[in-house]
Amino acid sequence: MRRVASLLLVVVFSVTPAVARADCKEHRGDKVVLYSTTDDPSVLIWDSRARLRAYYGASFDEAQALLPHSILVAPGTRATVISCVANYIESPIFEQPEDAIGVVISSGPQRGVTRWVLGNDVRSPPKGHH
Amino acid sequence: MKNESLANITGTLLITAFLVVTLAFAVQGAFETRTEIARTFARQAQIQQAQIELEELLRLQIDEENSLRGYSLTRDPFYVAQYHQAAAGYDAKAAGIRGILRDQQLAGAGVLLGAYAALQSRWRAEVARPLLRNPRQRLVELDKRNKLFADYETRTVADVRAALAATEAGLVASTQQQLNRSAYVRAFWVIVFGVLAMLFNTYRSRLNRELEEERTITEILQRAFRSESVPLPHCEVGSAYLSATRQVAVGGDVFDVYRLSGNRALILIADISGKGVDAAVLTAFVKFMIRAIALRHAEPASILSEFNEAFSKAVGNPYLFVSMFVGILDTTTFRLDYGSAGHDCAYLRRRDGVEQLSVTGPVVGVMEEPFYSKTIDLDPGDTLVLTTDGLTEVRNRDGKALLGIGAMELIERAGTHAQELADDLIVAARARGGARLRDDLAILAIRVMDTERERVRA
Repeated sequence: MRRVASLLLVVVFSVTPAVARADCKEHRGDKVVLYSTTDDPSVLIWDSRARLRAYYGASFDEAQALLPHSILVAPGTRATVISCVANYIESPIFEQPEDAIGVVISSGPQRGVTRWVLGNDVRSPPKGHH
Repeated sequence: MKNESLANITGTLLITAFLVVTLAFAVQGAFETRTEIARTFARQAQIQQAQIELEELLRLQIDEENSLRGYSLTRDPFYVAQYHQAAAGYDAKAAGIRGILRDQQLAGAGVLLGAYAALQSRWRAEVARPLLRNPRQRLVELDKRNKLFADYETRTVADVRAALAATEAGLVASTQQQLNRSAYVRAFWVIVFGVLAMLFNTYRSRLNRELEEERTITEILQRAFRSESVPLPHCEVGSAYLSATRQVAVGGDVFDVYRLSGNRALILIADISGKGVDAAVLTAFVKFMIRAIALRHAEPASILSEFNEAFSKAVGNPYLFVSMFVGILDTTTFRLDYGSAGHDCAYLRRRDGVEQLSVTGPVVGVMEEPFYSKTIDLDPGDTLVLTTDGLTEVRNRDGKALLGIGAMELIERAGTHAQELADDLIVAARARGGARLRDDLAILAIRVMDTERERVRA
């Protein structure tokens, strides 16, 4: 069941408009590392980009209610980009809108899971890492 | 002339008052600007202090979280103590920052900081306390909550930072505005002050020029009207003049030695009340009128009476009067007939001392009382010394006037020859009065030559 859902998500990500991808800082197939620059460097990954966007626009209590739809992964978790929606997440805390990036986790306990992550939490890995 | 002087004084006072008021406004404006800028800088310093404290607060928050992580991973009670220490430090620091924000009336930033502190309290209740109670419990959910808190605290702190930065930027802009305004205002006052100073200078130059012109005219008149030392047979004539100030140099002192017919010589010294061109013109009137009358009358009393009548008619000013000494000297017998119209500064220096020649009538121009003449015989070596009251009125440092007695002492000690004597009196008056001379001083000395040899040489 889980595998089917993953495949479904891959299909959904694949139909994301190419125009949006063109403006993204990451591109499909890019190998990335997840790392947050907030006080807590671990990264929340989300089951839908809408919830990802809602989290950054919500109040604390609303955000708390969204938490069951997220997974917390350790900083340094590796992933592969499978989709990107440019400037999708707008929030008063960002100077510029942030990208929503679809990734497949490729390391750690969540390996193989496909989720959405904030563009700012995605880093290029050190050379020769992948 | 009096009205012009009054107008000049009023004008000078008015412009000076303008200058003083302008200067006062400029100084007060500068002082106010300085106070305002100092207040703004003090406020800015407080805001910067709050910013620094806020960063310190964040460090304490991270200390709290790290201590909790350390405890959940190691279960070492050391981390619990460290956690409580960081929490206490956090609370104290937050209270301090709230105080600063309250003092600076930054209500918006205060509310944000309150929200931030409330989040931290919730984090302690919902994340920290469960972990402290049971460090073995599964961390995943707590970690997510921790992440949520971290994200929201980051946002709130960013807002507090932004509020403080905006306030500081506002203060910087306000300071800049104040400085600009101060520069404009100062430039304005400098221009006003400069224009007034130029006007003042122009006005003062005009006054000086007018004064200088008047003084020049008066000096020319006085030079023309004052007698040169006319030589008299068997006599030495000496004279000197001392001005109290530049203005007083145009005063009303006059003396004259004029040879009448035969062996007769007219000797005159007069002190006219008043100063300036008016007084200088009057000196001419006195001098030539007395000469004219002396040509017709032999008696000094008659000369004074006729002059008194002519002066009263010609001048017609009850406030103008003249004290004068008129003498007719026979240059063969050295008999001197004189009349003194209120002029008590006439002395005779003999071998055995100095005597003051008595007054024989009132000052001219005041009343019609009769004038009398007196006669004295001068011996060889005797000197007739006539001065104006500038000598008796000269005051020392203590304000004490020389008076007649002092003048007589000076005359007794002065040099033998007529010019020498006149010069010595001037030197003594200057030494005594210095810058405090109140009136100008005219001196006329006539000495009967002592020996035949001296007369031959003369």
